[in-house]
Amino acid sequence: MNSYIRICDIEKYYGNASHVTKAVDRLSFTVDRGEFVGVMGASGSGKTTLLNLLATIDRVSAGHIFYGDTDITALSEDALSEFRKNNLGFVFQEYNLLDTLTIEENISLALTLRGSGKKRAQEATAKLLKLLDIEEVRDKFPYQTSGGQKQRCACARALANDPKLLLADEPTGALDSLSSQTLLETFTTLNQNLGTTILMVTHDVFSASYCGRILFLRDGKIFHELLRGAKPRQLFLQEILDVLSFTGGKTE
Amino acid sequence: MYLKLAFRNMKRSARDYLVYLLTMTLVSALMYTFNGLLFQNELRQYWNTEDMMEVMVCLATVFIMLVTAWLIAYMVRFMMEKRSTEFGIYLLLGMKKNAMTKLYLRENILLGAISLLSGMFFGIFLQQVLMAALFSMLGMTYHLHVAFHPGTISMTVFSFGGCYLLSLFRCRRKFKKMNIRDLMKASQKNEEIKEKYEQAKRLLLLLSVLFILLFWRFFGALQSNGDTALFLVGLVSTIFLFYIGLSASIVCYIRKKGSLIYRGENLFLLRQFASKVRTMQFTMGTLTALFTLAFMGSSFALMLGSWQTHLLKIKYPFDILLYSPDPADTFEREMQFLKEKVTSLEYYPYRIYTDGDNRVNAWMLTHLSNWGTMYQNPDGDPNMPDIENMLENYNTYYVCDTYMGLSDYNHLRGMLGYEKITLKEDEYALQIKSRLAQDVQDIADSLKLSGIPEAPGSPGAGNLHADSPLLVCGGIYADPFSQDGHNGCDYLIIVPDKVLGRMHPYYSELAVDIDGSAPPFLREELDSLRTAGTEAFRSAAPAPEDSMRQGSDTLIVFGAVNAVRDNLMASMAYMLASVTIPLFYISLVFLCVAVTVLSVQQLSDSANYGFRYDVLSKLGLKESEIHSLIFRQLTAYYLCPALLAILISGKMILFAGERFVMMTGVPVSSGSFFLKSIALFFGIYLVYFALTCVSFTRNVRRGHR
Repeated sequence: MNSYIRICDIEKYYGNASHVTKAVDRLSFTVDRGEFVGVMGASGSGKTTLLNLLATIDRVSAGHIFYGDTDITALSEDALSEFRKNNLGFVFQEYNLLDTLTIEENISLALTLRGSGKKRAQEATAKLLKLLDIEEVRDKFPYQTSGGQKQRCACARALANDPKLLLADEPTGALDSLSSQTLLETFTTLNQNLGTTILMVTHDVFSASYCGRILFLRDGKIFHELLRGAKPRQLFLQEILDVLSFTGGKTE
Repeated sequence: MYLKLAFRNMKRSARDYLVYLLTMTLVSALMYTFNGLLFQNELRQYWNTEDMMEVMVCLATVFIMLVTAWLIAYMVRFMMEKRSTEFGIYLLLGMKKNAMTKLYLRENILLGAISLLSGMFFGIFLQQVLMAALFSMLGMTYHLHVAFHPGTISMTVFSFGGCYLLSLFRCRRKFKKMNIRDLMKASQKNEEIKEKYEQAKRLLLLLSVLFILLFWRFFGALQSNGDTALFLVGLVSTIFLFYIGLSASIVCYIRKKGSLIYRGENLFLLRQFASKVRTMQFTMGTLTALFTLAFMGSSFALMLGSWQTHLLKIKYPFDILLYSPDPADTFEREMQFLKEKVTSLEYYPYRIYTDGDNRVNAWMLTHLSNWGTMYQNPDGDPNMPDIENMLENYNTYYVCDTYMGLSDYNHLRGMLGYEKITLKEDEYALQIKSRLAQDVQDIADSLKLSGIPEAPGSPGAGNLHADSPLLVCGGIYADPFSQDGHNGCDYLIIVPDKVLGRMHPYYSELAVDIDGSAPPFLREELDSLRTAGTEAFRSAAPAPEDSMRQGSDTLIVFGAVNAVRDNLMASMAYMLASVTIPLFYISLVFLCVAVTVLSVQQLSDSANYGFRYDVLSKLGLKESEIHSLIFRQLTAYYLCPALLAILISGKMILFAGERFVMMTGVPVSSGSFFLKSIALFFGIYLVYFALTCVSFTRNVRRGHR
């Protein structure tokens, strides 16, 4: 595996001269192609800030983020939009689906915005609907579907353009346990069968146990890293719990 | 405590619904300005017809009050829905419904009071502009001065307050019916999109388009009241059903996966548009109706305005022109009276002659375009029974043809500053209204006045004179010549003086050239001088106003037996102003009210759109692309009701414009009223559009951040 995303010494400050909050503090790590990385940490540990920086929807105060050879910290706003369009996929806790569009149209839109023609958009949408098992709700509006279906639609939309990185922010936060499991199994399938690189921020131990590697954040710094390797998921889940018990069990 | 809360909430509403506040301020300013016309005294001393302006302004105020009340009711309901969660929380905290209703009413009344006061303040200045414009229209000088009339203030407070009372009336009942659950849920209502029977509904668009095509094709041919009523019902239905059909058609197109939706952001735009049109279909219909009325109002006002600009000046070319049905009238009394009133440069009494025939009348009735084929037999010949019936029973043309001698004609031309004309012995000239000149170009070929009968009373009366010269048309003159009953009706045949020997005087005229301007009310004084005549005069001759005919002008007619130019021009200008000003007033308020609803709808949704654009941004849309998307979305939304209104009102305005030009002879193209209306409309529209665009983008950006 080779370094796919390199996060080099990044810092992020909020506030003004009298009161500065250091959300991310000289953070460095790499993500390899095809990895499924989880980020855990207590509330205020900087995990969502980190995700926003990687997602190009926020800018670093210092440091560099490389996607391959591209340093996204040096890109202009328009170039960042272009980069986002071609390289990243997002899955959020609140689904972020457009309520005026049907499930199918939410996925199609992501493709047409990238200039896919009618034929390609239709084929790709059909494939994703099947892959995410939401074909039966394709003509329904988001409010007519379950949370799990909405989240799978968001997931399909995120995958619409074969992103280099799928970013997920508490994707199971609004789901029941069964829907959460289905979604996480989908993530695993995407990661293992399609080689999708995933970075997921979560406070849920069960969700984290599906990852291949977990970064534990505290006060904007990585204080621990856990690799699953060939371990069964239950064992990995126990290891995560051990780390959390070491930190006092606070993830959120 | 509640008052403080009401004040704070009012401040927030004013900020959130700034467009609404500005429009209400504008409406209040306009109300103050136009109500001022009812109570100003400067013009009262010059016109007896002032009550017409009062009636028209009051009538306009009623319509404006209704539309403004609708806007307030709409906004009160709209704000209530948007703030339903907040009201639910008030109730949860233990506030009584009655107290909450009072709180909300207080907020709205405070908002209204601010609009009213600031509107009246601006109204003071606006009133000066209107008065200056009105005085200028009347050819008078207005000295700017700030005046407060208690009547204007109380009338404005009454009308504006009336609008609020009308609209807040139902508010209390609505609150009474709501419970906490409903209030908490109300804000989520809009998110649910229900699509049912879209295939069937889209037929409504087809039907609407079909009706509009039929409307364009057959509007001019509507004859009976039944036809008109049927078309009106169709029109109103079209206005409302169009939007249901439009939304359904877009949805069907998207469902059919048409190619257009796979281009850029089209899918997003079309869905947004269809969804918005569906949820607002009734409101959109109402806005279209308001735009249609605004278009028509301003176009009709422009028509009258153009008449005033182009024709009023030439309508009364003589300083004073008096008519008498008595062919022997010497106008002694009138001349004596005028000598006391004005400095006259010249008095010129003359006669209009007739040969007792109606050949020229018949020729006019069968050749002028405004009569069409009404007085023609199927073979194109004059339908004499109908023509004679018309001449006897309608107030249009004199029963017999009207002639004038060349010397009188040249003298009158001299008085007006026109060049004198010459005629050969076998020629006649035609003096005609300029709007009809185009229709009579072939008169030389088709009307030869060879059949002049012997003078009445002679042995051969009624027969052709043996040596009757063959008179052919030697020239057509269309200079302004007072041809609304004074110098003939529409036309006058000018013949060499000696031809008059075989005719008899028909009626008398006195033309007066005066130095300076005529005093106010001189016309009325001349009228009363005539009615104060001797018993013998009154019993021997018909009353002048009964015998004088008025010509074929039909839309704007002011038949004056005693035509005093300065008096008549001012009276006509005032009468026209009393129609054009209220028409503009109504159009402006209707337009502003409708466009405010459009703006408020969009701006209040901009928070929700903020989320949608945020998603699009995460999907990789650049800021410039988002701005362009907002612009396109707002443009489609703003243009849709305006374009439908243009389509519907267009036919009516073009038809009316065509008729207006034909009937009045205004030298402008019939489409110009429509185009000017559109230009005026979009001028105001653009201001609101720009304001909405800027605020919308700002709100979205704020939400995005």
